[in-house]
Amino acid sequence: MVFLSIVNYVRARGPDEIWRKRRIFKLAAHYIGRRRNCYSVAVRNVHRALVYATKARKLKKEDMKELWDTRITSACEQHNITRFSLKEGLERANIALDRKSLSDLACWEPRTFECLAAVAKQKLELDGFVDGVDKKHPTGVNLNLKDVMLDAWLKERKN
Amino acid sequence: MSAAKRVQQWATFARTWHVFDCKWQDPYESAHVIKKYLMGLHKPIYHPMNDCGDVVVCINSKDIALRGNEWRKRAYFHHTGYPGGASWTLAWELHNKDPTMIIKKAVYRSMTGNLQRRHTMQRLFIYPEDKVPEDVMQNVTNQIRQIRLVPTRLDHIPEEEVKNFPKIMDYPEDYVLK
Repeated sequence: MVFLSIVNYVRARGPDEIWRKRRIFKLAAHYIGRRRNCYSVAVRNVHRALVYATKARKLKKEDMKELWDTRITSACEQHNITRFSLKEGLERANIALDRKSLSDLACWEPRTFECLAAVAKQKLELDGFVDGVDKKHPTGVNLNLKDVMLDAWLKERKN
Repeated sequence: MSAAKRVQQWATFARTWHVFDCKWQDPYESAHVIKKYLMGLHKPIYHPMNDCGDVVVCINSKDIALRGNEWRKRAYFHHTGYPGGASWTLAWELHNKDPTMIIKKAVYRSMTGNLQRRHTMQRLFIYPEDKVPEDVMQNVTNQIRQIRLVPTRLDHIPEEEVKNFPKIMDYPEDYVLK
């Protein structure tokens, strides 16, 4: 630490010590024992808690991503398609849905998800990405996608 | 019909009972499949905090198949807690003592260690043979697909079919079959 001015040498940091400590005690209000009553203990724990909170903001996003992936994987298994092919197929069909929307659809609108799985599979077959040797079709083969989907849109090759 | 009722899905949190035939299956591979159903990982509503796991009934656990020389080489460790209380039991010894133990330990180890694991294990029923109590079997509504195809043994194929099977040549008279 570099001390550039005399101000840093003084021990008392102003008259508002109570308020400075109060700020820490308010954050430590839900602790138990000395951690909430003694300032010197409380401030250490509050600082640590704030560090945890900072790190957790990133971790929470990663956790949610993992959860969505789990849910999408399980929904894909029900429709006989892998998560990778679903992602690839939807991307080629210009359906830009992220993990959150896909998992929400899988959870709340299973029929919509079934159609998405069928569209992805159809697109992959049209693009020649899968060779059609795999006879395990997704469960949406009886949906007659050809009646609904625009040929031009499906056949448009992705660059 | 209200908007909430329109998307209502009935019996979402109901427990389904699955049966899994362990015959000729690798317990360590099938543990990952069984785990998926026990924890509810096969449902799009999965969340670690919600209780959406199913019940799995494993049958024929005495007919599991271990890879390579694992029956002879894989050891199960146990310690009584006292000095000198360590013991290593080989897989074949353990299987002779309790034919359900290997699959049970495999499923237990495939799950991460948390407070839920022991409760999840309570939903796993293992039977050494295909004789399952009636009150368990009457709940089963689904069968989990086996990972490997169960081959038919040559001595289980009817003799006539074996005789009539087309072959390229006959062994010479003096040829000794290994």
